[in-house]
Order: sequence, then structure tokens, then C-alpha cells
Amino acid sequence: MPTTSTTDDRLSKFKNKGKEPSKLRERRIAECVELRKAAKNENFLKRRNITTLPEDADQSPELNTDNHEVTAITIEEVVGHVNSDCKERQTRGCQAARKLLSRECNPPLKEIVEAGLLSRFVEFLGRDDDPSLQFEAAWALTNIASGTSWHTQQVVEHGAVPAFISLLASPMLHISEQAVWALGNIAGDGPAYRDTLIECNVIPALLSRITPDTPVGYLRNLTWTLSNLCRNKNPFPPLSAVQQVLPSLIQLLHLSDQDILSDACWAVSYLTDGANDRIDIVVQTGIVPRLVSLMSFEALTVVTPALRSIGNIVSGSDIQTQVAIDAGVLSVLPSLMRHSKPSVQKEATWAVSNIAAGPAQQIQQLLTCGLLPPLIDLLRNGDFKTQREAVWAITNFTSGGTVEQVIQLVQSGGLEAILNLLTVKDSKTILVILDAINNLFMAAEKMGETDKLCLLVEELGGLDKIEMLQNHENDTVYRTAQALIEKFFTDEEPEGLQTEATEATDTTFAFKTQDVQKTFRF
Amino acid sequence: MFITDIRKEFYDVVVNQRVALLVSSDIDALCACKILQALFHCDQVQYTLVPVTGWQDLGTAFLEHKEQFRCFVLINCGANVDLLETLQPEEDSIFFICDTHRPVDVVNVYNDTQVKLMIKQDDDLGVPSYDDIFRDEEEEGGDDSGNESDGGSEPSGKRRRYDEGEVERRIERQRAMREWEARRREILFDYEQYEYHGTSAAMVIFELAWVLTKDTKDMLWWAIIGLTDQWVHDKITHMKYVTDIATLQRHVSRHNHRNEDEDNSLSIDCMRISFEYDLRLALYQHWSLFESICNSSYTSCNFKLWSMHGQKKLQEFLADMGLPLKQVKQKFNSMDMSVKENLREVIEESSNKYGMKDIRIQTFGVHFGFKNHFLASDVVHATAALLESTEKDDSPGDNFIKALDCLSRSNLERLHGGIDLAKKKLMAIQQTVASCICTNLILSQGPFLYCYLLEGTPDVKLFSKPMALTLLCQYLLKAFVRSTRNKRCKLLPLIIAAPMDVEKRTVIVLGIPPESETSDKKNFFGRAFEKAAEGTSSRTLHDHFDTSIIELKMEDRTKFLDALITLLS
Repeated sequence: MPTTSTTDDRLSKFKNKGKEPSKLRERRIAECVELRKAAKNENFLKRRNITTLPEDADQSPELNTDNHEVTAITIEEVVGHVNSDCKERQTRGCQAARKLLSRECNPPLKEIVEAGLLSRFVEFLGRDDDPSLQFEAAWALTNIASGTSWHTQQVVEHGAVPAFISLLASPMLHISEQAVWALGNIAGDGPAYRDTLIECNVIPALLSRITPDTPVGYLRNLTWTLSNLCRNKNPFPPLSAVQQVLPSLIQLLHLSDQDILSDACWAVSYLTDGANDRIDIVVQTGIVPRLVSLMSFEALTVVTPALRSIGNIVSGSDIQTQVAIDAGVLSVLPSLMRHSKPSVQKEATWAVSNIAAGPAQQIQQLLTCGLLPPLIDLLRNGDFKTQREAVWAITNFTSGGTVEQVIQLVQSGGLEAILNLLTVKDSKTILVILDAINNLFMAAEKMGETDKLCLLVEELGGLDKIEMLQNHENDTVYRTAQALIEKFFTDEEPEGLQTEATEATDTTFAFKTQDVQKTFRF
Repeated sequence: MFITDIRKEFYDVVVNQRVALLVSSDIDALCACKILQALFHCDQVQYTLVPVTGWQDLGTAFLEHKEQFRCFVLINCGANVDLLETLQPEEDSIFFICDTHRPVDVVNVYNDTQVKLMIKQDDDLGVPSYDDIFRDEEEEGGDDSGNESDGGSEPSGKRRRYDEGEVERRIERQRAMREWEARRREILFDYEQYEYHGTSAAMVIFELAWVLTKDTKDMLWWAIIGLTDQWVHDKITHMKYVTDIATLQRHVSRHNHRNEDEDNSLSIDCMRISFEYDLRLALYQHWSLFESICNSSYTSCNFKLWSMHGQKKLQEFLADMGLPLKQVKQKFNSMDMSVKENLREVIEESSNKYGMKDIRIQTFGVHFGFKNHFLASDVVHATAALLESTEKDDSPGDNFIKALDCLSRSNLERLHGGIDLAKKKLMAIQQTVASCICTNLILSQGPFLYCYLLEGTPDVKLFSKPMALTLLCQYLLKAFVRSTRNKRCKLLPLIIAAPMDVEKRTVIVLGIPPESETSDKKNFFGRAFEKAAEGTSSRTLHDHFDTSIIELKMEDRTKFLDALITLLS
């Protein structure tokens, strides 16, 4: 039976019934990748329109000014200076290298590495007697570590990690801050170097710099570095490290600076982007209410990661979801579902779809808090990615909701909205909708109202669409649609004519006037 | 992109391909299609002709043919929206667009690979320059940290530290970027604000035929009808019409000259196109002079024929010409030769006395053999009537084929049928105009005039069609301007609404710019309709290729209008 196979497919996407909670995440990752691809394609589309790339007019003067400095000193000269024993020449060379690395266009990262300057730079990091040399070297290394993985690797392999960690304790704030930055770049390279840093006890060293007097600029860098230490999966950062970071992260989340809040929220979103035990550690800290309140922050840079974090949390267990509901997430989500940015609408709807996958009580709370109207609005008018999430929400709702809840969904226009979406091209979405329809029929069967629902589906033009789907190129779609029709729509023709049943209905409805309201929506 | 060498970049490309020819439902498009079909016949190009009435239709037609075809030729549709966005074609589909709709969508203009615009560069295009509206990714983002302005995206894993000066420059550049974006919005707003029409598609395709030295008299005649359609349906300025007439006149002389060495005499199957300075009286050669005067917008408005006074003036006018009423009221063909001889001069003289200084206009006529003579504008009326025929059992597809057929020389019977339909249509329009004026159905809404044809008005079905409604709207505005004493109202544009589909409870709404002799024919209703619909979430369908024609749910009419008034006040 084709329906069962799709049901299994769907079941595995549910947070509770699914055996594989990671499947759900997979969906999100796949979507992210797709999104990025779409963005890239869009750029590509725009770019291929150009015959002659217009020269960047306002960049040329910069290049010239840079070149003036550059022509003053070449890499060979830098090498000469840096390798000399004269302090002043060392500083000058180091500064020149830093300047080369700080220019906007084509910084000579590789050239500096290949000139063999890294070991000297790392050595300079330890020169507590000459802070300006330390600073220039730290900056230069920071910028090299900001390059590709290979560049970062070069920095690490020249022994920069312990040097930077000890530099964190420097009494000179700007030097310490530069070390924070460099370590952030190394941690941001991936899970391997992140864990190398954690093993070198970078976390206590970093956290000790958070004091009431720490300047905001410093804290911003530090928060970002901490977020990189929470970032990346396969593997996740060690539990002990997470537990170390969390209290400070919570502390940072109560500040008011937008950049700090943004990076701290991203850190939380990384930490919650895992299995339920990972989510639990975060939920245990009691930070959920704060996250919910940050979802209504005015800056999008904060809203997005806060919403992502909460979205991750409600994809967890029922208990974890309940914590978010108790924190008031349901009163914030409607406005986010009406946010001007489609990406926010999509994330919010994703969260709703996961809450709808919960037990009937939680579905009831969705209803009570008035999430149905915005959800149905998005089904009608959202962009396609949002609609897809909304469709999931409906399917989850119909699968976990009580008969009364399902009736309310239909009465609010949910059925009409999903039926209208049966014309989309994406076959996966169609299958999810067909599943929802199937669920509705199962609810109707319980009530003994199958005929009524049949009639309603017909009136809303849904039957025509389902019949059309029998010509769908996708095999599963075609079979699922056929199964639906055979199961619910053929037995009302008692005259027999089983074989011609579908054709017969086809003609019957061809003459039916379409529901105007629906065909007219555009 | 705009094609500069239509032969090399268009014809030489499609000549070896199978072509899908998607043609909009207007007379100019039909004429362009006829010329192109003739060329394709010459070179044995395989093509499939698909009539399209709106965007939905175009989308469906594309989906149905995208598998088999790589080359799509779009006539009088497609230029004014981002086509790739709308149709989502594969990379290898190529669209050749010959469309009079302006402004041309900027993405279409700057796409070099898939969208080829067959649009004359000397048209008043005013496309914003590339640098003003597009920027490359590198410039936009600077690099990772530059994206912060966009907000909401995940922070970068690594960050480089820039020089202090660099930071300032970066901030400066972001500021410049914001300014650039504001300016971009402004430029695009100015560019997209008004809708208007460019050189006739038939003329563009005719020029291709000429460049290929494959142009024939038939093709030239179709080009003339294409241009005349733009004049009849008031799509271009008078200046543009006169200029293009001059261009075509040169072609006409060339063709006539070419044939002079041959027999130089008329034969039963010959075709002769001539430049005429003829009367602005619709179909008069196929009607009676009297009926034509009564049903032509120019004369009817000038006499104000909807009033008793006007009728009297008409009688005086006829008396002034010294033409016997019996002659005037009988079929033109049967009028005395002596009366017909210098009829045009006689009418012109009297018209001048009655304030109708422009009763004559530059146009063309055609002789088929000895018997049949047609004016270009009469053919336009006939073809339009066939295309929008509301006779029972006629599907839009049938009408399209009939209209296309009536343009062929071999199908004069169909053309005569069209002329009969056109007479009915013109009479219906005049009667509707008269009843609207006499019952004060045209209301001033502040920023525009508004007229709503009630369900049950005679011939209301005819006016559910875009071209018929456009013609009615133009005649109505002219009549209103003549009849009203309110000076301010004379300067207002007119919106007309008519029942479209009774079962679906929808109305067709269209707006035209104010009536004036120097009008630039630029129409701002397209954008205004969009905005008003958006603001009130009215259920509208912007399906027509002219953005100033929309479908609207009857119940939403009031709130839509209210929004429009607020918007334009």
C-alpha cells in the first residue's frame, strides 16, 4: 500500500513518534543547503546577464593608497626586518606584514606563510617586554587564521594556540582582545581545532576575562569566540565544555548589546541543534523565558538566532516543548509568522509545525493562543518554503489532534488552504498534503461523517485536484492519490461501473462551477 | 538584451529550429504573426502557433511546449515582466520577444543569454543603466562581515581584522550602498511608473522581412494594419503615428514603383496599396455615410449626437454639404458616382466650418482586384470584432483563427463578416456612450472619473472583452469631455468597470489616461491597481498583458475604489 510507505516516511519526521530525531534536523539541513544554493543560483542568474563586468569604481582609489604603503615595503624586506635582531626593525616588519594582511583586496596570506614568518610571529607573541610587537604579531596571525583551513592549520602547527591562550591574560586589554579574536578564528575552523582549544583549557581562560568592567567591544569579540566554541557538530563539543560555557553564556544573554545578544543566541542555537539530551542541558539552565523574550527583540540579528534556538527546543521532547510553551512562545509566534522577512516566517512556522507534532494538549494550546489564523494565512499567501512548513504543521496537527481539534481546523479554512496547494510542483509537499487529507478522513470515519467530508472536499475543488494527481509524474504521488480516491470517493457510486468510476466522476465535476473565491485568489 | 541585428541574432538562429510562436490576442500581434508565418513558409521553418490571452495562458502554453521546443517567439507579450522569474525555464530555452508593452522589465533587458528583445532602439525606452540598478555580489557584500547589514544570517566562522582606515572606508561604502539602493528604488519607480506602447510588432517583423529582402505587398499591408491598430486603440501618440506612417509610406512607394515596369494595370488578382488622406469615418465605404457619421467617435462627439441639439446640428451639416439625404442614407457603394467623386473634399470643407478640422487623417487603403477596397482602420475594426466575437459557440481559439484568417487576401468573405460584426459593435458602443452621458453614469471620484456598467445593460457581454471595453472607454471619455462644463473634469483619467463573469461574480476594470490632443498616452493605472489591490487585499487577477486591465471580485469593488482614490489623491 503506497500510503503506508509515505506514512512511515512522515512518521520518521515526527519528533515524538519518529525513531530518528536526527531525521528532522536533516530536513532542516537539506533546506539550508537548498536555500544557499538558491541564493547562489540567483546571484549566478544575475551575474550571467552581464557581458562586461563593470569595474569597481570606488575600489581603485583604495588600491592605490594601499599600494603606496605596499610599495614602501615588500615581503622580502618584511622578512629581513622580522628576522633581524633589532627590536625596532622587528616591530616595523611585523607592522608592515600586518598591514599587508589587513588590506581589503587579496591579502598575501599564502605569501606570508611561505616566507616562513609564522614561527617568528608566534615567538613574538611571548615577548611580554614589547607589547606593540606582541600586538602586531597577534593581529597578523589573526588574519592568517581567518583564511582557509590550510591557513589556520599553519598558524596552529606553528604553536600559536598555547601562546594565544597565555596572551589572554595580558594586562593590555587590546592585546588580550586580539588573542580572543585569533582563538575565535581557530575555533571557527571546525570541530577538530575547536576541541584542541578546549583541551588546552581555553574556556576558563576566556571566561575569567568577563568582569563587570570589561568593555563592550571586548565582550563582543569574546561572545563570538565562545559561540564558535559551541559551534559545529560531528562531533558536538564535549559535554563538560558546554557545561562550563553555559553559565557565562546565560549571563551574556541578559546584557542589552545587540551584537553580544546575537552571538550568544547563535551559541545557544548551536547547542540546542542536537539530540534531546543536548537540548536538555540548555533547558535546565532556565534560559528559555529569556530566549522567548528575545524573539520579540527589534533587531533581526537577535530575533533570528533566538527563534532558531526555540525552534530547536520545541523539536525536542514533549516536556522540553512544554517548557517553551510555558515561557509564552505561543504568544510571540503569531507576530513572527507575520514578520516582513519570509525567512522569519518560515522559521516560525517550522516551530509551529513541531509544536503541532506534540500531544493533543499542546495542540489545544496552539488553538487557544490563536495560531491557526496566521498559519492558514501563510498556507494561502506565504512564500513556498513557508507554505511547506505550514503544510507540515497541518499534517502533524491532523495526525495528533483530537477529532474536535481537527474539526476546528477544517472550519477555520485549513482544509481549503491545503487543497489549494495540491497544485504545487514539489511532489514531497503534495504527499504531505495527501497525508493530511488521509488523516482528516480517518477522523471523519471515527465520527461517521465520511460522506460529509467527501462532499466538502468536492465542493472546495479538492477532488478535481486529487484526480489530476493520478496523472502525476511521481509514482508515489499518483498511487497515493489513487488510493485516496479508491478508498473514499468511489463507493458513493452504487450503480457499479467500478472500472469507469474515476472517469465518471471526472465528467460529473467538469460541469460543476468552480468555487469562485478559490480560483480567484492570486 | 536588445537585439541589434534582427537578421543575424533572430532569424538566422530560429531558421534551423522548431519554433513555438506565442501570440497575444491583439490585432498588431496577429499582423506580426501573419508576416512571420509567411517568412517561415518561405524558409520551411517548422513552427507551432499558440494564441495566448494572458499571463496564466502564457505560463500554461510554455509548460506544454517546453519539452519539445527550445526557441520561443513571443509576440506582444512578455517584455514587461521578468520572464525568467515568471516562467522558470531551463537554461537552454531562448525567448525572442517582439512586444510593444513598455516599460521593458530591466531583468529582460540585461539578460544576455535567454531573453532576446526585438525592440527598436529608437523607441523612447529610457532603460536605467546597468550600474544604476544592478550590483555584483563582490561589491555588495565586500566579504563575510559585510553581510551583517542584511541581518539574520548565521555569523561567519572566521573574521579578518581590518585597518582602522579600512573600517571607516567600509562604513563609508555601506553608507554609499544604502544611498545607491535608495536611488535605485527611485530610478526603478520612475521607470516603471507609467505603462505605454512602442513601435508596432508588425512593423518590427516587417522590417525583418525587408532586411531579408523577402517582403511582399501582403506583408506590408499587415504592417500597416498593425500600426493602424495602435492608432485605433489609442496606444501611441499622434506624433508616433505620423512618423511611422511616413516610414511605411516609403515602403509603399518602393513596392508600387517596383511594379510599374510590369503591366502597370490593375488585374483581377492584383493588390495595390495606396496612401490616402481619408476620412475619420469608421467603415463608411461599407455602410451608409449617415450611419458611419453617427457611429464614428470623432463626428459623434463633435456633434454631441446623444442630444437633440446634436441631431439637429448633424442635419444642418448634411444640408451644408448639399448632399441629398437619400444619397447619404443609402449604401455607400450605391451612391451616385457624381456625389462620390470629390466627396472627401466636400466633407472636409463643411467639417471645417463645424469645428472638425481633423476629419481627414493619413492612412492607407488597399485594392484587391477591381472591386474590393478597404481602409486600414476598417480592417482593424473588422478583425477586432472577429477576435472578440461574443457569438455563441465561439471559443477564444476559434476566434483567434477566424481573425487571423480574415487578414488573408483569399478570405475576403470572412473579412466582410467581420465588418458586419464591427458595425454592430460600433453601434453598441455609441448607444452605450449616449446612455451613459444622458443618464450621468460617469462620476467624478476626485482624482479620476469612474463609470460602472450595470449588469443588464444592453450589450454588456460585448464589453467584458478588453479591446471592446477599451474602445468604449476612449469614446466615452471623449464624449464626456465634450459634454461636461466642469473644466477640472476634462483633465481627469477614466476608469470603467463592466461585469465580466456573472457566475464567478467578477468585473473587468480598466483605466485610461486623460484625453488631450498632446497626450503622451502614458498610463499609470497599472501600478495604481496593483497597489490598491495589495493594500486592501482585494481579490484581483492581474492576468492581462496590459497592466491597466484587471479582473476584480464584485464584492471587493468598493474597497478597491476607495483605496484607489486615497492612493491617487
